[in-house]
Amino acid sequence: MTQRLHGIMAEFRTPEALMDGVKAAKRAGFTKLDAFSPFPLADLAKELDYRTSAIPWIALVAAVLGAGAQYGSQYWMNVVDYPLNVGGRPLHSWPAFIPSTLIVAILWAGVATLLGLLLILRLPRLHHPVFAVPGFERASEDRFFLCILSGDPLFETTAVRSFLETLSPEAVREVLACG
Amino acid sequence: MSSDAQAITSPVAEVPLSRRFGAIWWAALLASGALVLLLGYTLVSVSLLGVGVWGVNIPFVWGFDLINYAWWIGIANGASLFAAILVLRRHDLRTAVNRFSEGVAFFAVICAGIFPIFHLGRPWLFYWTFPYPATFQVWPQFRSTLTWDFWAISTHVIVTSLLWYVGLIPDLATLRDRARRRTTQTVYGVLALGWRGSVRHWAYHQRAYRLVAILVLPLILIMQSTVAFEFAVTLVPDWHETRQPLHFVATGLAQGLSIVLLVAVLLRWGLRIGRYIDEGDIDLLGKLVLASSLVSGYLYIDEFVFALLADRMAQEATLNRMTGDYAGLYWAAIVYSIVIPQLFWFRAARQSTVAGVFVGLSIGVGIWFDRFSIVVGGLQMDYLPSIWRNYSPTLVETGLFLGTIGLFAVLLLLFVRFLPVVSMFETRHDEHQEKSS
Repeated sequence: MTQRLHGIMAEFRTPEALMDGVKAAKRAGFTKLDAFSPFPLADLAKELDYRTSAIPWIALVAAVLGAGAQYGSQYWMNVVDYPLNVGGRPLHSWPAFIPSTLIVAILWAGVATLLGLLLILRLPRLHHPVFAVPGFERASEDRFFLCILSGDPLFETTAVRSFLETLSPEAVREVLACG
Repeated sequence: MSSDAQAITSPVAEVPLSRRFGAIWWAALLASGALVLLLGYTLVSVSLLGVGVWGVNIPFVWGFDLINYAWWIGIANGASLFAAILVLRRHDLRTAVNRFSEGVAFFAVICAGIFPIFHLGRPWLFYWTFPYPATFQVWPQFRSTLTWDFWAISTHVIVTSLLWYVGLIPDLATLRDRARRRTTQTVYGVLALGWRGSVRHWAYHQRAYRLVAILVLPLILIMQSTVAFEFAVTLVPDWHETRQPLHFVATGLAQGLSIVLLVAVLLRWGLRIGRYIDEGDIDLLGKLVLASSLVSGYLYIDEFVFALLADRMAQEATLNRMTGDYAGLYWAAIVYSIVIPQLFWFRAARQSTVAGVFVGLSIGVGIWFDRFSIVVGGLQMDYLPSIWRNYSPTLVETGLFLGTIGLFAVLLLLFVRFLPVVSMFETRHDEHQEKSS
């Protein structure tokens, strides 16, 4: 019995070749694609229609919540629960509450952005099928990979393989699913 | 971009992966390690015997402690601000110096954090500044600058380290993939969190990285202002001025840039990576250092003019800083942080390793004198003549300061040894841009 596939992967030497490959795959009707590159490729991300606007929203919501929590807790502690008269100054001295409110807003926004990033990317992750592909270690150096995933409605092993061959890649390899 | 991409960033990746490292590195590590031992010794003696081992006393309740805290925070903020601006401007220089600017900021803020914690006298109770429901039902007083400082320092440590780490993840993946030994592979593999370079991941990664860089900008300004507020909100005549935040932000930036320049020059020389931090980068950094020292100069003039316009007590207190017992510090600050950097008007000086080290150290020293002059010289003529006296640090305080320099150096040396000092993925990206344009 043949092992289940995660996808089929083609290796390219240049980002331009990868870009052409992605365009051709989209023209051929494939929708479940994954591309790998050793550095960010903004054009390709646009081509693959990745929307990253979740990130600023996470930051904004976290900042507002953090600022609210900090200002609110300062108010509650210093005005309601433990009012302390310091030289007759008003208990609710709002200007004095501002610095740490702003700082904590930034703290929440920063931490939420980075935790949110990891959550969206499903990282950390101990293993992924692509790591088993021979030569994939160069995806972090100088090679570019296009993977057509087995979840694609048009996925059919021999057809995908011959399609990828037409893109004149360095190599075409099967990516075995884990487990 | 082509198959020679591997060659492009190899030398950077080779450094952390090589099994042997030069004798100079070991010598430097030993020397700074000895200073870290000194740091441990002074911290233990402060913890066991109390802050009486320091020369602080009324009115000098801060002394060396706040001088050095403010100094390290200046370095941290200057370096962070610089790194964040580079990321946002998408400047070419970013690739070369961004990574270790963030590193410098992170290590400096660790050194800075030691001082306020041990200044508490009972450092193991530092968590009392955090608002938690304690059994004695007392809450921190948020109208005090010291609680602002608690949030500022902890936020700075967390945000700077996260920004630095997130930028490192793809490069850690490169190290994981290039490593040949099992342990190295495992360590870098765990640190890389399973990064696989998916284009979707890159898109999110870049967005998040830039967003956190944006957050760093206001953080640094608020943080440095918070340090300045610690002076400004007191009633001490020389300190009670609204110009303090500006003074601290501007001189801190000069200081941060000068330390970044110093490290850049040393890295270029020590790791022979002149191709990644090239002459143009060093030249530009030199110009920035020069410009920021001119801004500091402007603020010194501003300080003088403010003093002339202020009420009599404030005027006398400030003039006393310039002419009194501690006048040497004030003028040394001007010479070291403003006069000497004028060397950088000359291109040859900007591009010379020796001059880079010299000017970088000079500004660092100069701003340290400035902080000394403010913290100690500024307190000398308070309202009560009966408390007019002088302050000098004890050996323990000096040892503590030298110890933090050692700690900073150790962290920097370990960073240089085990992590890529230049962002490899950004270098690849830039090389590709250059080729395709």
